[in-house]
Amino acid sequence: MRAAALAATLVAVIAAGLGVCPSRIWAQSAAPVPLATDGDASARPWHRYHEWPQRDSVKFNTLATLASPPPPTAPRKLAGPIAGDPALGAKLAADRTRGGSCLACHVMGPAGGADLPGNVGPDLSEIGNARLDDETLFNFIHDARVYNPDTLMPPWGTHAIFNDEEIGHLVAFLKTLKAPAQFKSELDDPAKRPPPVEKRDNLDSMLNPAMWAVDDKAPALWTEAGPNGAACASCHRDVPQAFKTWAATMPRWEPRLGKVLGIEEFVTRHARATTGHAWPIESAENGALAVYLRFLANGSTIVVDNESAPAKAAYERGEALAQRKVGQLNFACVDCHGAGRGAGKWIRGQWLGQIRGALDHYPTWRTSLQATWDVRKRFQWCQVAVWANELPPDAKEYGDLELYLAAQSNGLKLNVPGIRH
Amino acid sequence: MAEKPRIKVAKEAKKGEVIEIKTLLAHPMESGLRKDDAGALVPRKIINRFTCEFNGTLAFSCELEPAIAANPYFQFTVRVEESGTFRFTWIDDDGTAITADESITVS
Repeated sequence: MRAAALAATLVAVIAAGLGVCPSRIWAQSAAPVPLATDGDASARPWHRYHEWPQRDSVKFNTLATLASPPPPTAPRKLAGPIAGDPALGAKLAADRTRGGSCLACHVMGPAGGADLPGNVGPDLSEIGNARLDDETLFNFIHDARVYNPDTLMPPWGTHAIFNDEEIGHLVAFLKTLKAPAQFKSELDDPAKRPPPVEKRDNLDSMLNPAMWAVDDKAPALWTEAGPNGAACASCHRDVPQAFKTWAATMPRWEPRLGKVLGIEEFVTRHARATTGHAWPIESAENGALAVYLRFLANGSTIVVDNESAPAKAAYERGEALAQRKVGQLNFACVDCHGAGRGAGKWIRGQWLGQIRGALDHYPTWRTSLQATWDVRKRFQWCQVAVWANELPPDAKEYGDLELYLAAQSNGLKLNVPGIRH
Repeated sequence: MAEKPRIKVAKEAKKGEVIEIKTLLAHPMESGLRKDDAGALVPRKIINRFTCEFNGTLAFSCELEPAIAANPYFQFTVRVEESGTFRFTWIDDDGTAITADESITVS
């Protein structure tokens, strides 16, 4: 380590001697790295990617604002028994336009053809034998928080996804469920379905197009002079050695910005302060460099600082954000990815991973989308998927969340770019 | 800017040996069935044919259809009897041909 530090210093001194770089950059490790602290690191106002659902969920919580209606304090009283139509209820239960359908989380006997149901919620195949009264069933769907404040179930009524009449049809349908599910195969049964295992060689550029950033794109950007006449290569020599561990220490608290700085935002602000390149987060250039810088630290143990005072405070804010219910579907990160909650279970045919190990392969190649996603875009999608408005990728809340999640992977080794569905 | 094709083929082989070739081309393979934001169909633009010639003789070819995903990948085997050059060609719907050459020494 000492030899490496010495070599880095030597390189910096040589570079400084050439008059290309300000000597303070690397000559002393205590000198702060140049960062442009002005302006944003991504587009403002932020516009959602055009190929994503454009639903505006402004009436519900985001990671930055609280807006969702409060839960009811007591179960709703019904005037009498519900006269719903079980056939209409069956249709609603399988309607994927209403938050993914009941089958996304529940096995429901033969409903939906028992085709790839999930198992985040309990098996409802025989709920009709439980002799629950209409009012109880109605309230479970309308807002189950009146019975269990910790429930994962979205408040379908309070959050206006189903109206009272529709909930009535669902209640009528539930009362008809009286026989266990018959699965066509083990793959259809979420209790027996094997978790997906990614075995491809993610560093083979024939298999993982995200590696093209490492092969071609980032090295080309590295030597491309910016408006200020300098390139990355003007200051950074012996790149594989100099960046052997850096990415494994990111994100980190940055006092000059008063927020947690991830690699993507670092690239934007460092380039703005040095070469003059405009490389905002989610641009192709930023993405290529974010992959490359992490690739250089592959195999290094993730050691994110969550102990120094401001980092610890950011970590704690991130932990709280991971537990905040967001969106019309009212899910927190931990609802799907927390141990003992959704982690290791299925939403329809999609397996929910746990938090530890969730970030060690980002940016990652998404085979289903034929695109490389960085971690901030992944955060944004999680939110749009639970019908919440996303934040701009450089939002300080995402910084806190990234620090919290990255620290959950402390001790694991970086392996970028990954391959995931 | 078009990506350069990625090709994996041995530089050397023995006479009569069967070798494996892998190729990957970055291409959107626009099916012609998708709609843009305005609701208009995005015109079809796919690689419709791929060939591999060895010393001017066709060794492998195939036709591609709109259902094939972006970034078409081929893996196939050929028997080599002499030293020479592989020429790989991808034909785009717009008429352009993307080509790449790889030579091999056979002993």
